[in-house]
Amino acid sequence: MSLVNPSLIQIVKKQYVYKLRAYMDLYTRLVLSQIVAILFSLNGLGMMGARGGVFEVSVHFYSADLVVIFSILWAFITAILTTTKAIRNGDFLFVTNRVSSNLSNILFLLTASFIGAATAMMSTYLMKVIIYYFMDHHYVDTQGPMEAPLELLFGIFTTTLYLFLFCALGYLIGVLVQLYKGFIFILPAIFIGTIFLREGNTGLVTSVFKFFFMETSLPIFITKVVITSCLLFICAMGLSNRMEVNQ
Amino acid sequence: MNVIECKDVTKNYKRKKALNSISFQIEENKITGLVGRNGAGKTTLLKIIAGYMKEDSGELQVFGESPFNNLMASANTIFIHDQMEFSPALNLKEIFEAAENFYEKWDRERSFRLLHYFSLDPKQYYKRLSKGMKSTFNMIFGLSANCTLTIFDEPTTGMDAAVRKDFYRALLKDYLDNPRTIILSSHHLNEIEDLIEDLLLIKDGKELLYMPIADLKEWAIAVIGKSNVVNEWIGNKEMIHSKDMVQDQVYVVVRNDFSKVELEKAYKAGIKFSPVSSTDLCVYLTSKTKGGIDDVFS
Repeated sequence: MSLVNPSLIQIVKKQYVYKLRAYMDLYTRLVLSQIVAILFSLNGLGMMGARGGVFEVSVHFYSADLVVIFSILWAFITAILTTTKAIRNGDFLFVTNRVSSNLSNILFLLTASFIGAATAMMSTYLMKVIIYYFMDHHYVDTQGPMEAPLELLFGIFTTTLYLFLFCALGYLIGVLVQLYKGFIFILPAIFIGTIFLREGNTGLVTSVFKFFFMETSLPIFITKVVITSCLLFICAMGLSNRMEVNQ
Repeated sequence: MNVIECKDVTKNYKRKKALNSISFQIEENKITGLVGRNGAGKTTLLKIIAGYMKEDSGELQVFGESPFNNLMASANTIFIHDQMEFSPALNLKEIFEAAENFYEKWDRERSFRLLHYFSLDPKQYYKRLSKGMKSTFNMIFGLSANCTLTIFDEPTTGMDAAVRKDFYRALLKDYLDNPRTIILSSHHLNEIEDLIEDLLLIKDGKELLYMPIADLKEWAIAVIGKSNVVNEWIGNKEMIHSKDMVQDQVYVVVRNDFSKVELEKAYKAGIKFSPVSSTDLCVYLTSKTKGGIDDVFS
C-alpha cells in the first residue's frame, strides 16, 4: 500500500491557489459595492462658494472615504461567508484538515484585503475622471498616482490593514455563528447594547474605535492591528478545530 | 494489513445514538459493501472514516492513524456522497484541474474519457447539472482520484438504470486496473451483490453481519410447511423472518446450521426448504418486526 504523505505547507499553498480561483464571485461583490459607494460619493461632501462682483467661485468637496467604508463592510461580510457551511465543506472535497483550511482562508482574506484596499484607493482617480467628464466643473484637482506614489502605497497599506482587521473580526463572528446559531441575534444585541450603554467618550465602542482609528504612529498602528487580528484568528481556529462537517 | 480498524465506536447526535459500539476491520484491496436501512448509521460511519466527524468513544483508525484532522488520511481517502457541492465559479474541467493538483495519483486521461462517455460537457458548470448528472460527475471524480481508500456513499442516487449499470462496470474495471480499498454503501444489495467481496450489514448503529458475500447465501435458509409442524421442528431456534401463507402454511427463515438428523426429520415431516436471496435476507435481518409490514395490517 503506497501512501501519499503531504506536508501542511504544501496543502495550504494548494488550497490558497484554489481559493483565489474558486471564490471568484466574492470579487464581483467587491466591485459592485465599490461602484455603489462611488455613486453615493459623487453627491459630494459639501461645497463652499464665494461671490465678488462678476466672479463666482464654488468649491465642491468629494471624498472616496465611503468607498473605503464599503470595502470594509465587504471584507467583513466576505470573512463571514468563508466560514459558512457551503464554503467550509468545499475544502473537504479535496485534501484538507481544519488547520490547513483555516490557514488558507486567512491567506485568502489577506489577499482579498489587499485587493479591496488597492481598488478602494484607486477609486479616487476613477471619481476624478467621472467628475471631470460628466459634471459641470471647470477645474478638478488632478493629482495622479505618479505624483505622490508613496502616499498612494501608504494608503493602500493602511487600508489593507483595516480591511484585514475586519476580516479577522468577521471570521471569528462567522465561526461563533457556525458553532451556535443563537449568536446571530446575541452578537448584534451586544453590539447595539454597548453603544447605548454608558456611551460617551468613555464607552467601549468609542474606545475601541479610538484605539484603532485615531492612532497617529504607523509602527504602533501596525502592531495593534497585527496583534489583534492574530488573536481573533487564533480564537477562530481554536474554536473551529473540533468542528464537524455536517450537510 | 488492515486499512480500517474500528473498535467499539460510538457516536451520538443530540437525540439519537447513530453508532452504537460498532467494531470491524477492513482489509487492504477489498471491495466492501455497507448495507443497512435508512438511519442505520451508514453515512455517520463513513463520515467518521473520512475524517469529517469525530467518534464520541471507541477507536477508529485509518491507515493506522485517527482520520480526524489528519492530512495523510485525507490525502489518501476520497469520500463521494450526494451532498458534494463544488464551487459554482468552476466548470467541470477546472474542478478536475484543481483535483489533479490535490490528489497525487489523479488519472487525468481516464477522468476526461469518462466525462466524454457520460456526455458531460467539460465547460459546463457544476451547479447547472441535474441531480443524476451530479451523481455521475461525483462518481467520475471518485474513480479518477485513485485514492488508496475510496468511499462511495449511495453513489447511484438519481442515476438512470443505464448509467447505474455502467457505473458498477466502471468501478469493477477500475478496481482491476488499480486495486484499492473500496467501500460502497447502498440500500440495494442486489445491485452491488456481484461486485462486493465482503458485506458489512449494520442495524441501529451496530454491526449485524460481517462476512464474505459468498458465505451469506449459505448462512440462512427458508423453511416452508404446515405451521404446527414447522414450529415444532424449529423448536426454540431464532426465527429471522416468518410469514403466514395460504392453507395454514408458514414461511420461516432461520439460520442454516441444522444437523443431518434434524434435516432428515424435516424431510419426513414434509417440510420444504428453499434458499433465501441475499437481498431478502438483509431486509429480514434489518426489519424491526419479524413479520415485516404485514404486522402493521394484521
